[in-house]
Amino acid sequence: MKLALLLLSVALPAAAQQVDAGIPDDLQKELEKAIRSDSGTPPQGEKAPSAPPAATSGSSGNAPQTLLRGAQSLNPDFSVILDGVAGYERRAPQFLSGDDPDLGAQGTSHALGFMVQEVELAFSAIVDPYFKGEVYLTIPNLSGLEVEEAFATTTSLPWNLQVKAGSFRSAFGRQNGQHLHLQDFTRRPLINAAFLGADGMRGPGAQVSWLAPLPFFLTLAGEAFSLRSAPADESQVLPLPVESFGADGSTRPTLAVEAKAFFPISETWSLTSGLSFASGRSPGLLLVDGTPTGAGRDSQLYGVDVYLKWKPANVSLGYESLAFQAEAIMRHLDAGDGVVGEWDGGGYAQIVAQFARRWFVGLRGDIVGVPSSSVLARTGRLGASLTFQASEFARLRAYLDAERASGTSVLLPQAQPEWAPAAFLQLEFSMGAHGAHPY
Amino acid sequence: MARIPTEFRAPAEVENHMIALLAVLHVVSSIPTLGSLAKEVGGARIEVESLGKGYQDPHFVEPKPSLMLVLNRADLLLHVGLELEIGWLPPLVLGSRNPKIQPGELGNLDCSRSIPVLDVPTTKLDRSMGDIHPQGNPHYWLPPANAKIIAREIAERLQQLDPDGRAEYEKNLAAFNKRVDMKTREWAPMTAKLKGVKVATYHKSWSYVSQWLGLQEVGYVEPKPGIPPDPQHLARLITVMKQEGAKLLMMENFYNKSVATLVAEKAGAKLLTLPTDVGATPEIKDWFSLVETLLKALSSSV
Repeated sequence: MKLALLLLSVALPAAAQQVDAGIPDDLQKELEKAIRSDSGTPPQGEKAPSAPPAATSGSSGNAPQTLLRGAQSLNPDFSVILDGVAGYERRAPQFLSGDDPDLGAQGTSHALGFMVQEVELAFSAIVDPYFKGEVYLTIPNLSGLEVEEAFATTTSLPWNLQVKAGSFRSAFGRQNGQHLHLQDFTRRPLINAAFLGADGMRGPGAQVSWLAPLPFFLTLAGEAFSLRSAPADESQVLPLPVESFGADGSTRPTLAVEAKAFFPISETWSLTSGLSFASGRSPGLLLVDGTPTGAGRDSQLYGVDVYLKWKPANVSLGYESLAFQAEAIMRHLDAGDGVVGEWDGGGYAQIVAQFARRWFVGLRGDIVGVPSSSVLARTGRLGASLTFQASEFARLRAYLDAERASGTSVLLPQAQPEWAPAAFLQLEFSMGAHGAHPY
Repeated sequence: MARIPTEFRAPAEVENHMIALLAVLHVVSSIPTLGSLAKEVGGARIEVESLGKGYQDPHFVEPKPSLMLVLNRADLLLHVGLELEIGWLPPLVLGSRNPKIQPGELGNLDCSRSIPVLDVPTTKLDRSMGDIHPQGNPHYWLPPANAKIIAREIAERLQQLDPDGRAEYEKNLAAFNKRVDMKTREWAPMTAKLKGVKVATYHKSWSYVSQWLGLQEVGYVEPKPGIPPDPQHLARLITVMKQEGAKLLMMENFYNKSVATLVAEKAGAKLLTLPTDVGATPEIKDWFSLVETLLKALSSSV
């Protein structure tokens, strides 16, 4: 037996070298075809089960290694995620989220070049029998280290309760809670920077959530954050949008409540849906002459989101899957400080289809400043992405979009009605042990 | 589990029924086979539910929030461990808001605890080796010896959670072990036929079965775990299978068949899509029928 194994171990590499020299053309073609069909549309017919392939251990053959386990360590899981882009933008985008790639276009001049969109450092571990801890540091656009999130989650509270405390992303809507590497597109939706803040709605705070004891999944969450933001400055070359929240941050917490429900329609179809509400105080706008306007108005956000997914239970019949996601936000800015009250809003809808084992294509439409707004120029954007997932740990994405501002606002007195294109090639990879993500 | 005072005892059959209604311990397993083994030792004192289905790849169960509800009601969570479920189970456990089944609690049992693990990496690991499991191969639940270990672990944990059921769990465990031994003897003619048989497999998930049956694995369709093959690798595999005279290509029934079908054809081998979990097909209802189906499929092909 041992001799046979020894011979085998010698024979295998030898055999490998023999065929490496060249595969007959017809065999090569046939194999390529089978690989393509394995990665894409399945062979006809055949009823069978469901999911993509995965791992087993590597290494050392069948020799039993009784109870020899990987080295134990009490260090937290540590990972680094990098997003690098090469891109072109015809002019500066109207709304730039903190983790959008910033090529540095000013006003209507174009930009072309490279950027490291984000470096994320993630640490997580079970702290003790009562808490799980997670810390995410981020360096967006090579511009300094920020704490994206750093929080503890309770693991042992009674009555289906869970508390999260520290600095974290709000559960408002769907995309706000997700880090960059969970996005299907290179840029975040417009509503992120327009209503929730360039970095999304995140900051020091606490959240209490409750899983309702119902036959279907429903959670209710209440949050309070101490957000601090400065008034938008009209005199800046790249004026930031008027923030919804963050005025009087040291005395007036921003409050939010969210309800999230999940409906397993069938084994392959499922629907996630959420309703969100947030209330705070807007820091308003600093006019060119230095006078503030609209500062300290109370503002409220009302959000609704849906996520509809189709994915077969396994991949025996093919790797296709489909996901539709949409969010809408309406904002009310109260009257005050000599400014009249108003409603404005926006939203996006996207569809992402996996059409082969490693390939995803996505389309997204965005709009903000509807039905009308004095602080948000009506802006629309159409985007498309094509993603190649080399492995679970690396992907390459081509992203194209075009944006136009058909309306005006105090921050954009001149409409920019012509479509301005932008194109990015994005490489994203993850190293180390990174925890799994929620659905 | 409150003990029912003797003077109030109903006849045995009624009492058994009452116990089922009182539903004792609610056990949730990550894959159905673990739940099925738990049922063998838990009997009427437990009810069992599985998160993944037998026809799903256990690496890639969709972490649907509805599964958090299932976990929310669990007294005991059974999982394979060795990072098999690392891509989907941890957020469900955290989101379940169930203190009983959190890592480190009595209600959280990593069933690999006492398994003699195979394929533990012996060299420096990195992801260039594909989607590997740093702690060793997690596909261990098919061989009878391992099924006995899992059943023992589960029985011990059930006794800790439900001390009143101790006698019953011990009785059931003994009965299970006896039945495994009996079945192993019954299966002996089939397993004897398989000794020394050369096979190729799709994913490197058959190490324990190969060790048990004495199969010789000559190659894998996946060049590295979780990485799709390229033509050079497949051509090499076909050559090796021919040289070695490997007549079987083994694959779990949840994978896509296109590549494996062609490789088997070119190598003059037979492709066997095999069940590896309870519920892989509707007829496979417990560990015994799972292993028997597997052995019949294998032994009838050599």
